[in-house]
Amino acid sequence: MAKLKIFIFLFSLLLGFNQLKAQDNISPARKLAIDSLALEKVRDLSTYISIVGNKDTPWSEANRVIERTLELFADGAMMGVSSINREEVNYYGVREYLERLMALNYDKVDITWYNIQYISDLERQPDGRYVGVITVYQRFEGTTEEGLRYVDVTKKDITVYVERKSTQISGRIIGFWDVLLGDIRVSETKPG
Amino acid sequence: MKRKIMQTARVLNPRLIMMLILAISLSAGFSSCQSQKKLAKKKAAQELAERTAQAKTDLLAIINDEGRMTLEEKEFKLNSIKRMNLEDQEVKDLIVQAEQKIAVERAAIEKRKEDERLAKEREAGERGKYSSINDAMVAVAASRDASAANLAIREALQQFSNDDVPVLILISQDGDERDYDEPTTIRKYLEYLKDQKKSPDKIINAAYDSNGKIKELELQKR
Repeated sequence: MAKLKIFIFLFSLLLGFNQLKAQDNISPARKLAIDSLALEKVRDLSTYISIVGNKDTPWSEANRVIERTLELFADGAMMGVSSINREEVNYYGVREYLERLMALNYDKVDITWYNIQYISDLERQPDGRYVGVITVYQRFEGTTEEGLRYVDVTKKDITVYVERKSTQISGRIIGFWDVLLGDIRVSETKPG
Repeated sequence: MKRKIMQTARVLNPRLIMMLILAISLSAGFSSCQSQKKLAKKKAAQELAERTAQAKTDLLAIINDEGRMTLEEKEFKLNSIKRMNLEDQEVKDLIVQAEQKIAVERAAIEKRKEDERLAKEREAGERGKYSSINDAMVAVAASRDASAANLAIREALQQFSNDDVPVLILISQDGDERDYDEPTTIRKYLEYLKDQKKSPDKIINAAYDSNGKIKELELQKR
C-alpha cells in the first residue's frame, strides 16, 4: 500500500513537471509576437500620455483616455516623476499621475517617447507569468503663458507582465496574452 | 687511325650505307609516333578521369544542397554534365538522383507559387467582402480631429449589432495554437484607432446576426 502511494505521488509529480514543461515550450515565432505586443502597449501608453498632457485635448476626451490608459496597468502600479530642479523622484499612482499631468500649469505641453526597447527580455517566472523591462526616453517640454520653457529628458524603466489567459466568447474558449504594465521608474533625468 | 676508317669506308658499299641510314631513321620515326599516341591517350584518359571526378563532385553538391544554389544553377550544372555523355556508372546513378531532387524542388516551387496565387485571390476576395467595415475603420483613424473621429465612429458602429460586439485580434498562429491580444469591444477598438491613429488591423472574419449586422469581428495584427 505504501509503495503504491509513493508510486502515485511520483507519477503525479512527473505529470505536473511535464505540464510545466509544455507551457514553457513557446515557439520563437510566438515569443516574438508576445514581445511585439508588449512593446506596442508601451507605444500606446506613450500616445495616451501625450494626449492627456496636450492642453488642446478637450477635458472629456482626456478623461476618456485616462480610463483607457488605466486599462494598460496592473493594479497598484506607480509612476515615477522627476525634475531637473530637485534630486528626489516622486512616485504616484497612475490615475493620480495622469490627473496631475492634465492639470499641469503650462500653456502648452509636448511629451514624446523615443528609443523604446527591451533592456531585460521577457522571462518566464515560476508562477507562469513572463516579466521583462522596457526602457524609454521621454522628452517633456512645457511652455508657460509668458513663454518660459521647461525641458527635460528622462530615462524610464517600465516593468512588463505578460500572462496567458483564456475567456469564453460566443461559446468558444479564446486563449489570449494579457499584457500589463507595472511600475515606471525614473533612472535618469537631464536638461533637454 | 684515320687511314683505317678510310679503308673501312672504301670497303663498305655506299648504297648499303644509305639503306642503313634510311632504316634507322624510319624506325626512330615510328617509335616516336607510337610514344606520342601513347601520350595523347594517357592525357585523354587523365582528362576523362578529371571530368568524371568533377562531375561527381558537382552532382553530389546538387543532391546535398540545402538552399545555397538556386534551382536554375542546379539545372544548368546538371545539363552541362549530361552533355558530357560520361560512361561512368556512378555518374549515371548520380544524374538520376540529381534529376529527382530537382524535380521535387521544382514541384515545391510550383506549389508555393500556386498557394501564393490562391492566397492573393482569397485576400482580394476578403478585402472586397469586408471593404465596407475596413473603410469605416480607416475613416476613424484618418480623422483630423476628435469631433470628426467621433462622427466616423458613430457611422462605423451602424454596421454592428451593438457597441459591445467582441473584437478578437490574432497576434500569432502556430499550427492549431492561436494567440490573441486581450479581447476588446468594437467601440473600444474604434476609439483606439482614433487615439492611436493607426491603420486598422486586417479583418479575417466577421459573424453576422439575423439583421445583417456584425456580431463578432476577428482581426489579425499587421
